[in-house]
Amino acid sequence: MRRLLNLIRNENMKMFRQMSTYIMLGLLIVIVIGFGFISKNTAQPAATSADWKAQLTQQNTDMQASLTQIQTAGVAVEQSTASIDKAMKTNTYRIEHDLPPEQGTTLWGFVTQLAGAISLVSLFTIIIAAGIVAGEFNSGTIKLLLIRPLKRWKVLLSKYLAVILFALDALIILFVASFLVGGIFYSFGGVSQPYLAYTNGNVTEINMLWHIFTTYGYACVNLLMMVTFAFMISTVFRNNTLAVGISLFLMFTGNMLVTLLSKYTWVKYVLFANIDLTVYTDGIPVVKGMTLNFSLLVLAAYFIVFNIISWLVFTKRDVAA
Amino acid sequence: MQTKPVAQFKNIKKKIGKKMIIDDISFDVNAGEIFGFLGPNGAGKTTTIRMLFGLISMTEGEIIINGFSITNDFEKAIASVGGIVENPEMYKYLTGYQNLVHYARMYGNITKERIDEVIALVGLDQRIKDKVKTYSLGMRQRLGFAQALLHKPSLIVLDEPTNGLDPAGIHEFRTHLRQLADKENIAIMVSSHQLSEMELMCDRIGIIQNGKLIDIQTVNDFLDKDEVVMRVTFTVDNVTKAKACLNKLFKDKETLSNEVSISITIDSTQIPDIVTAFVREDIRVSGIDKESKTLEDKFLEITGGSGIA
Repeated sequence: MRRLLNLIRNENMKMFRQMSTYIMLGLLIVIVIGFGFISKNTAQPAATSADWKAQLTQQNTDMQASLTQIQTAGVAVEQSTASIDKAMKTNTYRIEHDLPPEQGTTLWGFVTQLAGAISLVSLFTIIIAAGIVAGEFNSGTIKLLLIRPLKRWKVLLSKYLAVILFALDALIILFVASFLVGGIFYSFGGVSQPYLAYTNGNVTEINMLWHIFTTYGYACVNLLMMVTFAFMISTVFRNNTLAVGISLFLMFTGNMLVTLLSKYTWVKYVLFANIDLTVYTDGIPVVKGMTLNFSLLVLAAYFIVFNIISWLVFTKRDVAA
Repeated sequence: MQTKPVAQFKNIKKKIGKKMIIDDISFDVNAGEIFGFLGPNGAGKTTTIRMLFGLISMTEGEIIINGFSITNDFEKAIASVGGIVENPEMYKYLTGYQNLVHYARMYGNITKERIDEVIALVGLDQRIKDKVKTYSLGMRQRLGFAQALLHKPSLIVLDEPTNGLDPAGIHEFRTHLRQLADKENIAIMVSSHQLSEMELMCDRIGIIQNGKLIDIQTVNDFLDKDEVVMRVTFTVDNVTKAKACLNKLFKDKETLSNEVSISITIDSTQIPDIVTAFVREDIRVSGIDKESKTLEDKFLEITGGSGIA
């Protein structure tokens, strides 16, 4: 166990002695700051707070009217009803509990927007994952690495865990940076603001930090799957560029692919049809009848298959590089 | 000297596709000896060494190190082996010291003092804090040697270890190896195609060709010290007269001559007769050189000089 930890320390040392690692993490911070400046300069001036209750009441009346229209027209009733219902109930909750709506951007709004940058974290982690095994083969260092009293699976596991740790580092940096930048630009006053969640027809207040945490969590499903995939390609083909290329290609075209194939029911077994779990809280799954449990099972199956392939290839391979 | 085998190669075979890369090789490397593994390029030296390190699998046979099978008991078997496979490829963006720390961590019981000791031994003290990318090949070779020694292995395996070392470095390296073998009773296996090198360094030599081990002998047997037939070169003032004289003495032997000397392959016990004959003929002899067969001659003799067949 101690030597496994030592292995992870080694991987970290190698990772953080390379300039490219710092460039990636630095870029993440630069992007957060840059985004802060842009959103500050283009932000709408905040509306006067006095009449927000009247505004929301007016909104609700309008929405009620359009809802009636939709129901008589009978087009896309289900989806529209759900989203309008959610908005109306949230407004009512705000009026009743004296919670002004988020005007323009707030600290938490900024942090939530920047959760989109998790795809950037995915990109960077894919680059790391693509290089961590292939790199040892390319430089020939794999030989001196594997002639130690540690079985190959331990070496591979340490590399995988080091990649996951890098992703965690990057996520923490993203969160802290966007929190600080958001606070500086939009004041830290908004920290205590709650998040209004809409579940099963009821509006509930939840801790904002928990909300951000779940947002990150959902985004990390994609990250974890694509990084594991890149790691597998890197291990199987020992080719850094190929691993980055294929992973990024799939990451960006996966959803499109699923949409194109959505008329076939087997598409529900495709990884990308299951990678966005938010459809089960507010959205519609690609194929009707898919459930959260189904998606979790499919994801687990892919995850296990990717790792088993990496493991088999790495432990059985003749190292003749 | 003890002859406890540290590494035992037992009928190892490696088949890739239909080609037998290694064909039924068996030998031992004993404690306290330097075993030379000699063969032309492509003969299977590196493949055999990779199998010893568990880098590639065996099709048949087994390799036992200190009683543990490399296939079935990898961690225990490999724990007492140190070495370099082909080039000493290190992490170029790390310093020499960080590289050593990296390897030391994988054993779990190597102290900082041990690392410093090894650095001093290979003479890298001055440059150990520099990045490996600034090292010369000779320095990388030294660093490679350092990582091989870190965990005080009982078997050291070095693949072409003197590549990139200058003559002084090679001499120093040879002295190190000799000490490790003699004083610490370590088994050392060195592969090389540099024959003269092997002759100076090794106790026993195994010759591999086309995946087969064709001969194992001690260096002394190899060189056949008591061999009597050799080429003798006489430096004389009158080559023509000397040639006539030799032709008279040895009718059926060929002589080779240039302007100042003449050579003949004879039994060394006949040298005094020749000198006497020369003196009688008034030929002034200013030098006699005996050329015993070198390992190289022997090697070419055994392998038929075919190189990669």
